[in-house]
Amino acid sequence: MSERAVGHDGMSGRAVGHGARWVRTAHAEWTKLRTLHSTWWFLAALVLTMVAVSALTTGTLRAGDCAALRTCEEDTVKLSLTGVWVAQAVALLFGALAVSSEYGTGTIRTTLTAIPSRWRMLAAKAVVVGGLVAAAAAVGVFGSLYAGRELVLAAGFTPAAGYPAIGLGDGPTLRAAAGSFLYVVLVALLGLGLGTALRDTAGALTAGFLLLYGFPLVAALLTDPDWVEAAQRIAPASAGLSVLATRNLDALPIGPWAGLGVAAAWAGALLVVGWGVLRGRDV
Amino acid sequence: METDADAGTVQVKGLRKRFGSVTALDGLSFTLTPGQVTGFVGPNGAGKSTTLRIVLGLDAADDGEALIGGRPYRALSTPLQEVGALLDAGAVHPSRRGRDHLLWLAHSHRIPVRRVDEVLEQVGLASASRRRAGGYSLGMRQRLGIAAALLGDPPVLLLDEPVNGLDPEGIRWIRGFLKSLAREGRTVLVSSHLMSELEDSADHLVVIGRGRVIADTGVRELLAAASGDRVALRTSARTEAMTLLAAAGATVAATDRDALTVSGVNAEKVVQLLAGAGVPFSEVSAHRATLEEAYMELTGDALEFAAPPVTGTEAS
Amino acid sequence: MTTTQTPPAPPNPPVAPYRSTVVPPGRDGFPQLLRAEWTKLRTVRRWNLTLLGAVLLTILISLFAASSGKVETSGEKRGPAPTGPGGIQILDSFRYVHRSLPGDGTLTVRVDRLVGQGETRLSGWAKAGLLLKKSTAQGAPYAAVMVTPGHGVRFQHDFVHDTAGSEGDGVATARWLRLVRDGTRITGYESADGSGWQRVGSADVPGLDGTVQAGLFVTSPMVTRMERSFGAVSVDSRPARATAEFGQVAVSGTQGDWRHTGVGGRLPAGAGESEGAGTSTGTGGAFTVTGSGDIAPAVQDMDLGATSLSGTQLGLVLIAALGALFVTAEYRRGMIRTTFAASPRRGRVLVAKAAVVGAVTFVAGLVASVVSFVIGQPMLRANGHKPPQFAELHFTDGPVLRAVAGSGVLLALIAVLALGLGALLRRTAPAIATVVVLFVAPLVLVSILPLGLSRFLQQVTPVAGFAIQETRTRYGHVDSLCLPEDGCYPQGPWLGLGMLALYVAVVLALAVWRVRRRDV
Repeated sequence: MSERAVGHDGMSGRAVGHGARWVRTAHAEWTKLRTLHSTWWFLAALVLTMVAVSALTTGTLRAGDCAALRTCEEDTVKLSLTGVWVAQAVALLFGALAVSSEYGTGTIRTTLTAIPSRWRMLAAKAVVVGGLVAAAAAVGVFGSLYAGRELVLAAGFTPAAGYPAIGLGDGPTLRAAAGSFLYVVLVALLGLGLGTALRDTAGALTAGFLLLYGFPLVAALLTDPDWVEAAQRIAPASAGLSVLATRNLDALPIGPWAGLGVAAAWAGALLVVGWGVLRGRDV
Repeated sequence: METDADAGTVQVKGLRKRFGSVTALDGLSFTLTPGQVTGFVGPNGAGKSTTLRIVLGLDAADDGEALIGGRPYRALSTPLQEVGALLDAGAVHPSRRGRDHLLWLAHSHRIPVRRVDEVLEQVGLASASRRRAGGYSLGMRQRLGIAAALLGDPPVLLLDEPVNGLDPEGIRWIRGFLKSLAREGRTVLVSSHLMSELEDSADHLVVIGRGRVIADTGVRELLAAASGDRVALRTSARTEAMTLLAAAGATVAATDRDALTVSGVNAEKVVQLLAGAGVPFSEVSAHRATLEEAYMELTGDALEFAAPPVTGTEAS
Repeated sequence: MTTTQTPPAPPNPPVAPYRSTVVPPGRDGFPQLLRAEWTKLRTVRRWNLTLLGAVLLTILISLFAASSGKVETSGEKRGPAPTGPGGIQILDSFRYVHRSLPGDGTLTVRVDRLVGQGETRLSGWAKAGLLLKKSTAQGAPYAAVMVTPGHGVRFQHDFVHDTAGSEGDGVATARWLRLVRDGTRITGYESADGSGWQRVGSADVPGLDGTVQAGLFVTSPMVTRMERSFGAVSVDSRPARATAEFGQVAVSGTQGDWRHTGVGGRLPAGAGESEGAGTSTGTGGAFTVTGSGDIAPAVQDMDLGATSLSGTQLGLVLIAALGALFVTAEYRRGMIRTTFAASPRRGRVLVAKAAVVGAVTFVAGLVASVVSFVIGQPMLRANGHKPPQFAELHFTDGPVLRAVAGSGVLLALIAVLALGLGALLRRTAPAIATVVVLFVAPLVLVSILPLGLSRFLQQVTPVAGFAIQETRTRYGHVDSLCLPEDGCYPQGPWLGLGMLALYVAVVLALAVWRVRRRDV
C-alpha cells in the first residue's frame, strides 16, 4: 500500500496530515459500530455474562466443602473471575462480527471505497473494537471481583479462617484483574483477526471457539501429564487465563504474564493473517 | 369454501398493519381478477411488500384479511399450486445450485422433477441451472425467482419488482411473458415503484401510497383522466389567440413567449376557431400524459421519502 | 385531480380462471416436507463439508486422546487381578475369623464397636460383620451381613449385589447381626437388642454349596482425599485399618477351631502395607478383629470407552454450527419466506427441519463414534491400557453399545438444539455462541472449578448429555472418585441424556411457538 504522508480532505480541499486521517478513519469505524444496536447488546452481554457466571460460581462455594479451610486451596480471586471463561465467547463474537458481518452484508465494499487503505481500516477497527471491549471488560472485571468479595466472605472464607478478603489493592489480585481485563480485549482482537481472515461469521466463530475452548479440552484429554502441560502452555485460553491465579503459582503450566503474552501472540498472529488476506484478496 | 366465482381471485379486504409507531397499511382493499396483469404501484415504503407478505401468510395483519380463491393463504393445502410468488430475488442460498433450489421446492409439494427443468427452460435459465446461485447476476436470480413462482403452475402469480436487475432484453421478455400468462387466464400481480415499467404490460393498476389505495383503475382510464383535454398551442400572435379562445369559453395560460396551454375546448375546436379568425399558429397538439405523469400526479402528496426540491441557479 | 376515486370497475370480458394441466395435483404432507428439507441440506456443499469435518474432527481428536498417553508399568510385578463370579474385576481383601460349615447353620453376633485405627477417619464403606464364603481364596462366592460407618446395615453377596438394611450410623450403638444358611439360600438379619429380628436381605448363592467357611470379618477401604487446583488434581489415597469388637458370638452347625486368616494379597503398587493382613484376637464368645481392604467390584478411574469417544466434545462445535446454519442461513437470505410461503404450516416445517438435521447428524455421529471406538481401543491397549489394570472392552458390551450409539444421539440432540436456538434467535452468530457457551464452556470449566460446582454443572447444563458416553459400571455400594475430568457424570448415563433431551424439547417447543406467532 503506497500511502503519501499528506492527503486531501475531499470536502474542504485542505491538505490533512497523517494523524488527522487516522483520527478520521477511527471516527468512521466508531460511528459504524456505535450506530448498530447489536453493539450495545453485545457489550451488555459481555458485562452480564462475566458478572453473572462469576457470581454464580462464587455463590455456590461453601467453606464446608473443604475438609479443613487451611488446607483448602481454593483461589478465591480466580474463582471470582470464572466469568471470564464464558465472557470471552462474547468478546470473540463481537470482534469477529465487527468485520465478518460487513462481508455478509456487502458493507465492506462501501467501507473500502471510503477508506482505501486496508491497513488503516483494520487498525482503526482494532482500536475501536478493542476500546469498546476494554470498557465493558473493565466494568465486568470490577463487578465480578466486587461480587466475589461479598460472596466469598458469605461462604465462610473469612480472614479469620486464613482467607484474606479480596481487595483490589494487593498485588496478585491487581495482576489477576488487569490480566483478565487485557485477556478479554485480546480475545476480541483475536476474533477480529479471524473474522478478517475467514470473512464468514459462522466459520470465524467455529474456528475461534475451537481455539478458545477446544484447545483446552484436547489438552485435558491427553493422558500424559507432560503433553497436557505443553498443550496448556500454547493454548490461548489456558495460557492467557493463567493470569487469573493468585495462589499456587508454581502449579501453573505457565507464568501469569508469560501466559498473557501467549494470548497476545495468538491475537497478533491472527490479526497479521487477517491483514494479509485483506491486502491480498479482492473484496 | 371455494366457489367458482372466487376461483383465481385475490381479495384484499381492509388490511391494517403497524410496525411500532409506523403505520404500514391503513385499511387497504382491492381485488384481483383472472386474465389481467395488475400493476401494483406505489413509492418506496408505501406498503407493497408488506401487502404481499400478508397475502402470503408470512406476516399477520392487525386487521382485515387477504383471501386467495376465497381462502386465506395458510389454509391452502398445496399453496405452490395455487399461488406463485416472487418476493426477493436474493433469497437463495449462494452455495446451492439454481436447479437444486427449485428441486427442494418441488419436493415440498411432490411436484415431478421434470417440471423443474420445464420452468428453467421457460425462464431461459436452463444452461446456468447447474451453477451455484451465488454466482448468478441479479437478472439471473430474478429469472430463478420467477421460475420458482411458476413451478406449481399456479393460477395466481404475485411478483414483487420482477423487472429489477433485468437487462433490456430481459425486460422485453418479461413484459411479453406476463401478458401471455394473463391470457391463459391467470391472475397476475406485478409490483413496481416505477410506473413506466408497467406502461406496456399492465391492464389494470392498483396505486397505493402511505398504506392506502389511491387509485384502483384500468390503465386506459387513468391515462385519459390524467390527460384531461388540454391542448398545447404554438402561435406568434399570442394575444389574439388568447382573446379569441377565452371568448370561446376556454381557459388559457401562457407558458412561453409563443406557447399557450388551452383547456376547456378540444384540439379540433381550437384549430377551427383559430383558422376561422385567421390567427396564425404553427402547432396544435392534444397533450397526452404518460403513465408516469399520471402517477406522479396521483402520488404527489403520498411520497414517503421525498427529496426536497432542488434549488439554485442551474435548476430551472 | 389529485386523488381520483376509482371509476367503476372496468367491464372486463369474463375470463375463465387458469387451471393447470401440466402439473398433477401435489401434496404438502409431512413426508414431502422431510424430502424438501433433505434436498436443502444435501445441496449446499459447504454443509456437506462441515458434516464431513465434524466426523473427521471427532475421529481425529478421539484417536489423539487414545494415543497420547502411555501407562507406566509399575516396577512391582503383580499377578492377575482377582476376578469374581461373572469375570468382573474385584477387590477381595479382609481379615477373617472363621470355621467350616458343612451344612445348614446359623451365625449370630453382636458388633459392639467399629472404629478406625490412629488418626485416619474410616471410609463410609468400612465393613464389619458375618461372612459365608466358599473358600478363603480371593474371588470365591460369598454372602455377608455387615454394619458400616456411613451406610447402615447391608446384606451383600458376590461383590455386585447389595441390599440396604436399617439406616444410620452402624457404629455408634451395638447392633446384632445374624446370617442363616439353608442350602444355598443365605438370609441376613439384624436386631437392635438381640431378641427382635428383622430380615435385611436374602439371596440364593449357587456357589455356596457343600462345605463353606463361616465367620466374622472386618475390612476397610482406602480413604481418599483430593485436592484440585488449576488443571491438576492431587489424589491422596491411603489405606485405612478398622477395628471391630464382636461379642456374644454364637454359631451352630460349624466344625473345627476358629481360624484367623488374612484374605487377599498385596495392596496396589505403592501403598506399601499389606492389606487383609490384620490382627485378630479372642476365642469363643468375643473377638477383636482389625482389617484393611475391601470386598467389592473394582472401579476404574479411567473410562476407556469414553476416552476413545472424546472427540465428540470438539466435533459438537461443527455439528452445532451446521444445526444453527440450517435455519439461520434461510433467515439471513430471506429464503425463509420462500420456505414458509411453500409450506405455511411453519411449526411442521421446523419439526421437519429438526428431524432431517437430527437424522443426518445422528448417522454422522454414529459413524464417527464407531470408527473412533474400533480404532481407538487397540491404540489404548497398545499404550498399556490393558488387563489386569484395565478391563477389556468389547464392541458388543451393553455399556459400549450404549456409549457408541449414544454419541450419535448426543450429536443429533446438539444439532437440534442449535437449530431451535437458530430459529429463536434468527442469527447465526448468537446461535452458535449460545450452543458453545452451553456445552463447551462447561466442559472446560468442570475440570477447573471446585468439585461441588463442577458436579452441579454436569447435572444441570446440557453437558449432562455426555454422561451417555460412560462405559464403566458404577455401583452404589462402592465409593469412587467420579472426577469430572475423568468423564464421570454423577447422575448416570440415561438421566444425563434425558437432561439434554429436556433442553432440546423446551428450546424446540419455544422455537415452534415463536415461528408460528412471528412475522417473517
